[in-house]
Order: sequence, then C-alpha cells, then structure tokens
Amino acid sequence: MAEPKTKYDRQLRIWGEQGQAALEKASVCLLNCGPTGSETLKNLVLGGIGSITVIDGSKVEVGDLGNNFMLDESCVGQSKAKSVCAFLQELNDAVKAKFIEEYPEALIEMNPPFFSQFTLVVATQLGEEKMIKLDRICREANVMLIFARSYGLTGFVRISVKEHTVVESKPDHFLDDLRLNNPWPELRKFAETFDLNVPDPVAHKHTPYVVILIKMSEEWTNSHGGSLPSTREEKREFKELLKSKMVAIDEDNYKEAIEASFKVFAPPGISSDLQQIINDSSAELSSTSSDFWVMVAALKEFIATEGGGEAPLEGSIPDMTSSTEHYVNLQKIYQAKAEADCLAIEQRVRNNLKKLGREPESISKATIKSFCRNARKLKVCRYRLLEDEFSNPSVPDIQKYLTDEDYSVAMGFYILLRAVDRFAANYNNYPGEFDGPMDEDISRLKTTAVSVLNDLGCNGSTLTEDLINEMCRFGAAELHAVAAFIGGVASQEVIKLITKQFVPMCGTFIFNGIDHKSQLLTL
Amino acid sequence: MIRLFKVKEKQKEDAENNTGGTPVKKQCAGELRLHKDITELNLPEACKISFPNGQDDLMNFEVSIKPDEGYYQNGTFVFSFEVPPIYPHDAPKVKCKTKVYHPNIDLEGNVCLNVLREDWKPVLNINTIIYGLYHLFTEPNHEDPLNHDAAELLRDSPACLETNVRMALQGGYIGDEYFEPVM
Amino acid sequence: MADTAPSRSRDLDKLLLRAGNLVGPTFEPGAELRDDLQEYARILVVGAGGLGCELLKDLALSGFKNLEVIDMDRIEVSNLNRQFLFRMEDVGKPKAEVAAKRVMERVSGVNIVPHFCRIEDKDISFYNDFNIIVLGLDSIEARSYINAVACSFLEYETDDKPREETIKPMVDGGTEGFKGHARVIIPGVTPCFECTIWLFPPQVKFPLCTLAETPRTAAHCIEYAHLIKWDEVHSGKSFDPDDPEHMQWVYSEAVKRAELFGIPGVTYSLTQGVVKNIIPAIASTNAIISAACALETLKIASGCSKTLSNYLTYNGVAGLHIKVTEFVKDKDCLVCGPGVLIELDTLVTLEKFINLLEEHPKLQLAKASVTYRGKNLYMQAPPVLEEMTRSNLSLPLYDLMDKVAKDILHVTGVTGQSDKKTSCLRKLRVVFRGVDGVTDMDMAGGA
Repeated sequence: MAEPKTKYDRQLRIWGEQGQAALEKASVCLLNCGPTGSETLKNLVLGGIGSITVIDGSKVEVGDLGNNFMLDESCVGQSKAKSVCAFLQELNDAVKAKFIEEYPEALIEMNPPFFSQFTLVVATQLGEEKMIKLDRICREANVMLIFARSYGLTGFVRISVKEHTVVESKPDHFLDDLRLNNPWPELRKFAETFDLNVPDPVAHKHTPYVVILIKMSEEWTNSHGGSLPSTREEKREFKELLKSKMVAIDEDNYKEAIEASFKVFAPPGISSDLQQIINDSSAELSSTSSDFWVMVAALKEFIATEGGGEAPLEGSIPDMTSSTEHYVNLQKIYQAKAEADCLAIEQRVRNNLKKLGREPESISKATIKSFCRNARKLKVCRYRLLEDEFSNPSVPDIQKYLTDEDYSVAMGFYILLRAVDRFAANYNNYPGEFDGPMDEDISRLKTTAVSVLNDLGCNGSTLTEDLINEMCRFGAAELHAVAAFIGGVASQEVIKLITKQFVPMCGTFIFNGIDHKSQLLTL
Repeated sequence: MIRLFKVKEKQKEDAENNTGGTPVKKQCAGELRLHKDITELNLPEACKISFPNGQDDLMNFEVSIKPDEGYYQNGTFVFSFEVPPIYPHDAPKVKCKTKVYHPNIDLEGNVCLNVLREDWKPVLNINTIIYGLYHLFTEPNHEDPLNHDAAELLRDSPACLETNVRMALQGGYIGDEYFEPVM
Repeated sequence: MADTAPSRSRDLDKLLLRAGNLVGPTFEPGAELRDDLQEYARILVVGAGGLGCELLKDLALSGFKNLEVIDMDRIEVSNLNRQFLFRMEDVGKPKAEVAAKRVMERVSGVNIVPHFCRIEDKDISFYNDFNIIVLGLDSIEARSYINAVACSFLEYETDDKPREETIKPMVDGGTEGFKGHARVIIPGVTPCFECTIWLFPPQVKFPLCTLAETPRTAAHCIEYAHLIKWDEVHSGKSFDPDDPEHMQWVYSEAVKRAELFGIPGVTYSLTQGVVKNIIPAIASTNAIISAACALETLKIASGCSKTLSNYLTYNGVAGLHIKVTEFVKDKDCLVCGPGVLIELDTLVTLEKFINLLEEHPKLQLAKASVTYRGKNLYMQAPPVLEEMTRSNLSLPLYDLMDKVAKDILHVTGVTGQSDKKTSCLRKLRVVFRGVDGVTDMDMAGGA
C-alpha cells in the first residue's frame, strides 16, 4: 500500500527515502515530558520516528493543562509520562511508544547503562548538575544527546555528540562544480566542437553557456599570461567581452553566461573547509576509523594524485539555455567524468579497507558514490562536553559576545540560564518561582550571575538590571509558545542528526522571546 | 502597541455610527495598478482593446490586433487577457482566441512571448505585452517555436510560410488543420 | 494577587501578572489583563493547515479563549506528517471543523468557531470582529486579500496619523522546508503586505517554446505534458490537478517525452511536485514559525513583552539562523497609506473634481481617471472606456459615491511640469462637507 509514502510525501521531498529509513530505525528517549519535551516528540512522532520512550516521574497537575496540549482534564493526578505517551501514540500508530514513570534525575544517578539502548536522548528541563552527568554517560555510551530548555521568554538548545559527520549537507547555495577554467580533456574537446561565431542565429543562441565560458576563459587566459580575471576591472572587462559576442539582444545563453561569469573567476582547487577535513588527524586511519574517515583518506589521496588538486567531479549541471542535444551530451560528459572519479575513489577505499584488515566491500558502492557526489560539501561537527564548556571557557569569545550589540542579550541569557540553576541549588527554588515581592530574588540572582561571570573569567562584566529583573519575572515558567518553539528547534536537530543530512547547529542556541534576536553562541 | 481592550467599546460605538456600511465591492491592489496601466495605454493603430464585461471589469479584456504589414497583414487576431489579483507580481494570462498558423503561437492559442512567462517583471505593464504580441505578427521568429511546422518553414522557405499564412487567413486547410477566415 | 488554588494559567500568570521593564508600552499587568484576554480578545486564524493547526493549539494555550478559524480545504493523507490535529480517519473532512473540534476537546474553556469556506466568501465586516488576524497561509493571493481587508478598516486622523482603534494587527507566518518567516503587520504603523510584496520571489516559469522544442530537464517534460499536450489532446476539458487520472496522464506523457529526448528523472512524485507546485513541509519548521506567531499575538494583545519589529526570517538548513529585519513602510502605499485628504461640497461634479485635482497643491494631478470601489467613474483613456464613462462627468461626485459622507477614491493621472511629466496612481480620502456623521476623522482604508 502506498499510504506511508503519501503520508510522508512532503518530508520525503526533503530528506528522501534514505533519511526516512534512518528515522524509522531510530529510538529516541525523552527526559521530562513537560511542553518542551512533549512538543519535541510530537514533531518526531508525526515524521515517523521508530520508537520513543518517555521518562517522567511526575503526576499531572492542573497547572500542566495550561501549557501542555498532550494533557487534558482526565489526566490530572495520573502519570505524566503515561498520559503524554498515550496522546503521542494516537498521532501515529507506526511509532512504538513507551513510557517509564521515573524521575530522569534518578535514572542518571542510579542507572547510567540504561541510556545506551537509545539512538538519541532528548533531555529537557534538566538542571546543570544532572546535565553534566548525563552528558558524560551518553558520550561514553556513544549515544547522541540534545539538551533543550524553556524558561520564561528564553531557553536554549544544545547538541552534545563527540563527532557528527555529514555527507549530504544539502547546502542552500553552493557553487556548481563545472571546471570552467580548468576543463578536463573530454570537456575541452566538446567545447572545441563549437564555433562562437557561428553564423546561424539558432545555433548561436543555443550554445550552452558552459561552452561559452570555457572558450572565453581560455581566450582570456591566453591573452593574459595564463591568469584569470581577478580584479574588479578585469571581471568587468570579461563580462564586456561576453556581451560583445552576442549577436542579438535576446540571447538568453549569453545573458546566462554573463550572470554565471563569477563561476569562471573562482580559483581552481578545493575549499579551505575541505582542506581542513582532509588535514584532520582522523584522516590518518586506524583500526577504529569510521567509514566516513576511511573515505576521507581515499579522497585525500585522490586529490593529491588523479584529482590534480580537485575533489571528484560532482557530475550534475544546472539547467541552461541550450538545444536538447547539446545539453544531454554535456550532461553525459560530466557524468562520465564523475563516474571515473568515483571509480578511482572506490579503488582507494577498497585498498584502505584491505590495509585495515576489513572486508574491502564493507562500504557499499552507493555510499561511496554519494560521498563522491558530495565530496566538496562534507561537514564534520564536534561538540565539547558541557563540563568542558563550563570549566574551560573561551574568555575572549564570551567577552566579545557580551559587548556585541547583536549578541549581548543572548549571552546574558546564557549566563542567567546557568545562574538560575545555581540559584536553585543554593536556595531550593528558582528566582521568582513563587508569588510575592521579588526584590530579594532579584538581588540574589544578580549576585549569582556575577559569580557565574567570574567563573567564566569575565570579572568585572555585568548584565543589565532589566534582563535580571526579567529573568526573575519569568519565575521558571514554561510558556507553551516558547516550549513549542524550543521543541521545534530540538526536533529539527534530532532529525538532522539521525538522517545525517543537513548541518546541525554547532553551538548553543539561545532563544530570545523578547525581540526574537535569538542567537547561536559558539563557546 | 495596541490598547486592545480600552478601545473595545469605542470601536463598537463607531461601528454603530458607521455611515458607509459594508462596502459593496473591494478593489485589490492589482486592480488599481491595472487601472493605471489601462489609462496609460499607448497602442499602435493596429491594436484595439475592448472590455466585454463592461467598464467596471478591467481584469478581463480583449485585444484585437490587425497587422498593417508583414505576412499577417489585414488579418484580425483576438487575444484574451486575464489579469490576476496580485498583478503586477504575476503576469496576466494571455491566450490567442483566433486560431492562427504562426511559428510562435500554437493551435490551442498558447503564445511564446518571454514577457508573459520567464521574463515578466513587475515594472513591465500591459502596454509592453501588447507591443510584444504585435511584434509577433510583424516579425515572427523561428527561434522560439510553438508551431514546429510553421517555424521550420519560416527558417527554410519563408515564401512557403507566406503562402500558407495567406491561405489560412482567407480560410482553408493547412495539412489537416482548418483555419477560419480572419480577413 | 494570584490565587493559591491550582490554576491552568500557572505559567502564563508569571508573564501577565508581573510588572517588567522589557515590556510593551500598553502593558498593565494583573489578573484583569489575564481575564480580559480570555473574555474579550477575539482572534481569527486564517488557514487550518500546517501552520493553522499549530497556531490554534498555541493560541489556545496562550490565554486566548475566543478563536475562529477559516479554511476551505479538506484533509488529505499528505497533511498527516505535520497537521497533528488530523488522523487518518479524518481524511476528506473539512480542516477547519476537525481542527476546531480537536483543540476544544483537549483545552477546556476554549471556544473555536470553524468556517469551512473561502476567505472571499465572508463579508468584509466578518473580519472586523476580530482584534488580531493570524495568517497561516501558503499563497501570496490569500495574504494579499486578507491584508487588503485588514487595511480597509484603517482610518487616519486629519494629520495623517492612524486612528489607533481602527488598526487591525496581523501576524503572518510562512514556511518552506527548513525555512520560514514570521512577521507582525500593524497597518499604518509597520509595513503592510503590499508595501513589501517584493519580498516574495516570483514563481519560476519556463518559456513555452523551451517546453515545446528544447526540453532539457524532467520538469520541462512534465510542464510540456501539463501545459501544452493536455490542451492539444483534451480539447475543452480543463486539467484538474486533484484528479489522479489526470495526473497519471500527465506523468505518462512526460515519461514518453523524456524518453524521446533522452532526459532522465521523470517520476510520479516529481510530476505532482511540478504540476501542483508542491512546497516541501515538515512538522518542526511549522511548529517553530507558529510558535513565534502565537507569541507575538499574545504580546500584541497583552503588551507583556516587546513586539517583533517587524520581520523574522528563519533558516535551519545549516545550523540555525534567525534574523530580524525592520522593514519600512511605503508611505504612498495604496493599501495602507493615508492617501491625500480632500474636502468637497456635495454638489461638486466629477468634472469639477477632476479639475480640482490639477489645482490641488499637494497633488497637481492632471488628466485624472477616477475609480471608486471597483467602479470606474471616469477613464481618460482608452477611447472606448472614455466614451463609456463620459456621461458621469456632469454628475455630482457625491451621488457617484453612493452618497457616503467619506470614503476612499483612487485616481491616476500625470504630475509635474511639461518637461518631466510622470504618471502616478494616488489614493484620496474624500470627505463631503455638511453631511451627517462626518467628524474630523477620516477613513483611509478601502484599497
């Protein structure tokens, strides 16, 4: 039955069958099922995540009904985990939904091995001390971890994974891999079959811009001592040169060539991002190297040898004005080169596997092909342990954020979100948690914030009174709209981590619900 | 920003006193811009505009073109224009209502004119389109074909195309297709 | 102040009952504010799809009790990956009705009135009953329509300041894959949808001759089958994208064409995507954007924090980027701008009025054509319309405007001296002297 395919149609268009399969295999554990956690899971259950395990030791109170859609009147007094789990199951019967009525804090203390059964843990509304412990547990067990917290009009999301490697990063805008200023022999030969001065106007306006640019860039370098247009003036001149080749004003292929001329100006060779990846010490293989790094090692060799400084060709070309025949031929030339490059990489991968004493066929051809197609877009994300971030802070970065107009509020919230936990540890309640005058809490929070700042090595820095007052006003409230936002972000990052597609965020996301100037802090 | 509840009662009062009542018809932004386009039309003699639904429906109109030169001289060709409410963000939909043997117009009335599709921009206007259509008749081209046969003839033997066009204009068959007289 | 008894609004109370420094200018914290939100605030949610479902939930849990939702669509299987109020057994039912019912079942005390109809089917006055309109739509047309309606309630003072009580705020969200936007529109204060319509990129349209002669991509083959071949084969029968047989036909024609030209990549899924212009959609982005919209709605209604000023873009493709941009109003916007105030006697004829425009110090508008609420009162050109409208010239404008005391007119004409004349389209607010009901306040909307 085609039902699941139709049901997931709108997301399959984003992460494809492979991404969907990865989601359906994954098991996710949620700690605390307040609105932040419940909303995170809701988005994952709708998308067809494999299984969920909801962990919460609390009973449903009336106050919970005001911010959590998964709970209704009939749940009051019952296990929150059970109630939330039942509603989530209703959303998608393809998902295995379980719950455990237990406080996450207790599991963290008493049963660390428990967490190793999951693909990923989403820890919501957890205090700092428990976050640090859980972080260590998950890191050791190689379980992906996401922290999420809603607090009044602020909150944060933070990923903690030792290393996350992405092949299909699917960036929004990325320079096409056309090799216009460095064509390989077959492409050059194809370009040579064209005469840009062809008298037939139909032939003239159906010459693909790739051919125009290859020929014109060659003409340019020949008359400029082998160098490409580099100054603004030269680039302008190059465009003028293209324009002068037009025989009619409505020649779309020439217009496209002028618009795409920047693709000629890009220097050949690999990007600094990719250079960094192939220089990474993980590219020196060992018995524990992951498939990703085995392929990176092959890529590194390829770039140094057959590739002549280039990554394997991507093999696809954008649409461009052309006759069908020329376009299809051009496509074939690019595809053939991409396949040849891929074959070379594949051989190197097989050799590397053999050298490591692994089954040479253990990485599938399809995986290698995808790796080659995306070689220029590889991403490696590494996350510090929370403990490391807290005990070994990057003082210059923090100070920069504190004084930067766009970041100071987000950085302030980062500090205050830590300060409220410290406050709670000292005074057994959150600032402003209970009704009544707040003056004492405000001054205590201020002192606590200063001590957090001092511990971060930012002696002398302060936060604005307004922000501290605001944090006390929040009184640890979990507002539904904020929780839905934070939960939305957390679920999106879960999907990126599990599908291994797109690039997860690389720092701490701080939500600013006051004026929405939320920021990602890399600390 | 908004004193929602303070103004509540006042708003009610106003509603009761409102002199205008509910408007009968509301004009969308596209209609206003079109109004401007229409009053500024500066058409060649050969083009006439008409409003089949009367003076208050500018969004649907017809343009008839009677070329005064070229292969299509003295034929009359009617185009229907359907202007969307978010005009000029989107281009009008234009179809040729008269069946014509033309390299750039197919037998269903689809027209290959760049400003109607890929090259439409909000700074363009109705005048631009009508001029574009007019030029299709005075200078048909074989480079953007919608009627493959006609385009090929135009390229390889313009004289044959001219013969065919004249035949079609007077009413008759070109191959299997019958064309009503339009002269 | 707050009761000690267990309360549903335990968390929300912190924000609504406590004073703060980073709040809106109108914020008056207290239990009364919370109760007023519940009792008096009336919110319309336009669209019950991916955003609409989330919005209804978010608003119902943000202190609002009087909600209405309007949507003309029925539930489809492909909605279920994100429109969480719908189940498989709801497929085929009206979205607005099911969404309203589900939220009311779960959040006690909330009343949601569904409207299963097109937005154009409602009287303009329907929209005036709401304090805030929240938009969860996927089309420019619908946004533009609601924007025009909301702006039509706006009135200006004689000094061109918007009359506060006529302002109908809108909160608008939109998503596409991992990307989205949320914005706050306070007509007369911040840019309206029409002021910034250029923010929406035009839809890509392939040249017809490319489809007919030089197809290169799978999409070209599909559009050929859809736009050209269909009409050729099915003379007169229009294509229905929701008819699976029609879609199947387009798909198989596209496959044939692709084979003919050696073009790879035509699939049924791509065919649907191209023909219906399907925008990929996921639960998380909808949740994020809706939450931002709901939060702004709460802030506009209560003043409990600052409001978004005024346009948020969200991108979660790589990392997470949120950017807030403060766009500026187009002061001459035909939809939300004040227009030029003109006072007239009821006896002034249309012809006299047109002459007055030329002498008017602010306008100096010659050769004016005049349109009033879709009626073209006088058109200078083309001749065919001039002839049709000429007889109006001798009639009093007051009569031509259905004897309303004050209303909006639009005129086009030319301004400037002989050497550099420019054509322009202007909005006028016309007030007739000595007619009952006219105060010094003047209506400005009605675009």
